[in-house]
Amino acid sequence: MTAVTTTVPAGPPAVPADAAPAARTRRRSPSSGGNAPYLFIAPFYVLYVLFMIVPVLAAVYLSLTEWVGLGTPTFVGARNYADLLRDTSFRTALGNSAVYVLVSVLIVVPCALLVAQALNARGLRARDLFRVTFFVPMVLSPIVIALVYGLLLDRSYGVVNTVLRALFGIGSVDWLGDPTLAKVAISFVLLWRWVGYLSIFFLAALQAVPRELYEAAALDGAGALRRFTTVTLPAIQPVSAFVVVTSFISAAQLFDEPYLLTRGGPGESTLSVAMFIYRAAFERQQLGYAAAAGVVLFLVVFVVSQVLNRVLAIGRAQ
Amino acid sequence: MSIGPSPTRRQLLRWGLVGAAAAALPGALTGCATQTAAAVRSGDVTLDLWTHDDGYITFFTDSVPVVQSGSRFRYELDVTKIGSADLVTKVLAQAVAGTGTPDVAGFEIGNFARLLRGNITEELLVDLSDVRDRLGDDLIQARVAPFSKDGRLYALDSDAPLVVQYYREDLFREDGLSLETPETWAEFLDAAEAVSSRKGTRYGAVGVGSDLGQVLQGFQIPLMQAGGNLFDAEGRLTIETPEAERALAFLVDGIQRGVFTTVTDMYGGSIQAALKSGELAAVSMPSWYASYGIQPNVPEQAGRWRIRPLPRMTEGGSRTSVGGGTGFAALRAKPNSEAAAELVEKVYLSPAQQVARYKALGYLPTLRSVYDDPELLALGNDYFGGQPLFEVYAEIVDEIPPYYQSPDMSILQTVLSGALLDAYRGRRTPAEALSTAADAFRGQTRSER
Repeated sequence: MTAVTTTVPAGPPAVPADAAPAARTRRRSPSSGGNAPYLFIAPFYVLYVLFMIVPVLAAVYLSLTEWVGLGTPTFVGARNYADLLRDTSFRTALGNSAVYVLVSVLIVVPCALLVAQALNARGLRARDLFRVTFFVPMVLSPIVIALVYGLLLDRSYGVVNTVLRALFGIGSVDWLGDPTLAKVAISFVLLWRWVGYLSIFFLAALQAVPRELYEAAALDGAGALRRFTTVTLPAIQPVSAFVVVTSFISAAQLFDEPYLLTRGGPGESTLSVAMFIYRAAFERQQLGYAAAAGVVLFLVVFVVSQVLNRVLAIGRAQ
Repeated sequence: MSIGPSPTRRQLLRWGLVGAAAAALPGALTGCATQTAAAVRSGDVTLDLWTHDDGYITFFTDSVPVVQSGSRFRYELDVTKIGSADLVTKVLAQAVAGTGTPDVAGFEIGNFARLLRGNITEELLVDLSDVRDRLGDDLIQARVAPFSKDGRLYALDSDAPLVVQYYREDLFREDGLSLETPETWAEFLDAAEAVSSRKGTRYGAVGVGSDLGQVLQGFQIPLMQAGGNLFDAEGRLTIETPEAERALAFLVDGIQRGVFTTVTDMYGGSIQAALKSGELAAVSMPSWYASYGIQPNVPEQAGRWRIRPLPRMTEGGSRTSVGGGTGFAALRAKPNSEAAAELVEKVYLSPAQQVARYKALGYLPTLRSVYDDPELLALGNDYFGGQPLFEVYAEIVDEIPPYYQSPDMSILQTVLSGALLDAYRGRRTPAEALSTAADAFRGQTRSER
C-alpha cells in the first residue's frame, strides 16, 4: 500500500489524517475481507449447487422433453404438462396423496399431541419405556414394516383375519385388496409409524411450557380441558405449526408405505404422486413425463407450504 | 444513452451458477455409452455378467470351462447379482454415464419390455438375429418374439416355460379325481367342484396381491392357452377379444365356484400356507414353478406331486401356455461385445448346454430338437415321484403359444390388474373389466410417450 501512495503524483484529494484508522478498520471488516468469507462458505454452496440446484434445473429441463433414459432427449415443450392434466392416473395419484396428507395432518398430528400430553403427565411411571415404545416404529426399516404388515393383513392367512375369525367369525376382510380398506391400512401404518416421532417434538414443547401458567389458570378455576386449550395449545403453537408443515410435506411425498404394502394397488387405489413419478421413470422409461410430474409435485408442496407458513406464522415473533 | 446500475457481486454469482448449470445440462443428459477402446478379438477376456438369479450365476460359471474349448477367448466372469427391475435401471444409468455397463446381462421378460421403448435396444444391445437365422425353426420361435424388436433379436431366452398342471397325486386318488388330464377345463371344474364343496380343497391359485406381475400372469396363462394374447405381433392391445373374455370368465367361474383360491403371493407365505395345509391340491404354473414355488415351500411333500398337460378350454386352444422367462443379451459398442455375444450363444444354444441347463436349473430347452433327447426323456424327478417330466413337456411343446411384448406392458399391467381383481370379486363382468382396462390403457398411452 505504501508503494502505491508514493508513486501517484497527483491523485485524489488528500486523505485526512483521522481517516487512516477508519480505512484500516474497513479493510479488516468482513465486507472487505477479500475472498476468505467466500472460501469458507464455498463448500456448502458447491455441494448445494451440484446436488440441489443442478438436479432441480435438470428436472425442469427434462420435464420439457421426451426421454426414454438413453440417447438425446427430444424437446416437446409443455406437452408433458398437458398430458398430465388429462391423465386419469395422475389425478388418482393426486387424490390419494391428498388423502394421505389429510390423514397425516388431521389424524396423525393430533394423535401425536395426545401421546405427548400423556407422556408429559405428572407421576407417569416408566416414562422412558413408553417413549422408546412409541419411537421404535420410526427407526424400523420400512421393508421390515411392510413384511410384518403383509403377514398381519393377508386376506387368507393373515393374523388379523385369523383373530377376527376366532373372535367374531368375520375372517375374510381384504385389508390390502379392497380399494377403500387398502387406503385405511396404509393410513393406519402411517399413524403407527409417525405418531411416536412427532410426539417427541410435542413433548419437548410441552416440557418448555412454564408451570406457573398452569397454576395461574388453575387458580382462575380452569379445568383440564380449559387449561389445554387456553394454556397448552397457545404455548406450543410454534412447534405445532412446524410439525403440521413438515407432516404435510412428508405425506405429500409419501412413497415407502404404499409402495411396499400395496405397490399402489389394488389397481391404482393407493398410488401416491411420488409412486406415480417412480413408475413413470423407472418402470415405463418416461423420464420427461416423470420429471413433469415431479415439478408439479414440487410446486404444489412449495405453494401450500408457503401458505401454511403464513397462516401459521412460522418463524415470526408473536 | 444511460445504462443501468452495475450488477452486484451476488447477482454475478447467481447468474454464473445458473449459466454453468444450464450449460452442463445437455451434456449430462445426452452422455451415452460410446466406448472407443479397441475391440478384443481373442485371448483373455473378463466379462461383467449381471443377473438377478443365483441359478444363472452358477450355470454361467460352471459353463465357462466347457464353452471355451474351441473358442478364441479365454473367459473370466465378474458376476454381479441385482434385482430384476433394478438391473434394467442400473444398466441404463451406466449407459448414460458412459461407463460401467455389463458385458452380458440377463433381463427378466417383464422388465425387458422397458428396453423396447425408443431406441434403447438398438443402442444398447448386440443384434443376435444371425444366431436366430442360423438355427432356423429349431429355435422355438414362440420364445424369440418376446425379445425381438422390428424383426431383430436382442436376447436369447433362458427357458421355454411351458405351463403344466401340478397336482397332488395322493389327494387326487383319495378324492376320486382322474389322474389323466380331462379333455376340457369344464369337465375338470365340474369334478373338482364336487370335492371342493365337500372338503374345501382348491385346485388352482390366482395371485391377487400387490405384485401386479403375478396378478397379470394369472390371467395371461389362460389367455394364451385360449389362443389370445395381451398384444399382437405389432404391439397392438388385444384384450377386447372373445379369447380374452373367455379366459377371464373361466378364472372368475373357477374362483366363484370355489375350485380356485386367491392368494396374495404365489411364492411366499400365503401359497405356502395353502400348500402345507393340503388345501391347495393343484396349481397351473410354468415349468420353473417346480423349483421356485412348490419345492421350496413344501419340501416335505416330495413324492406326492405330479405334472400333466392342462385341460383344453372348451372352445379349443392348446394344452399349455407360457409364463416368465429371462433373456440374456450382450451389450454393444464395448471392447468385449464380440466375446460376450459368443459366450451367450455358446452357453445357451448348444444342445449339450441345453441339456445341462435343464439338469442344473430345471429350465426347459429353447431348441425343439432337444425335446427328443433320450437322456432327458428318461430322466426321472425324485420330487415328482420319479416321474419323467420330459414326457409331458415333449408332448405339449409343439402347442406352445407365442408371447408378444410391448413397451407399454407396464401400463397395461397397472390398469388390467385392477380390472382383473374387480372381475374376480364380482364387481364387474369379465367383458366390463376388460373394456375398462382397455379404455384406461388407451387413455394413458394417447401420446407417444
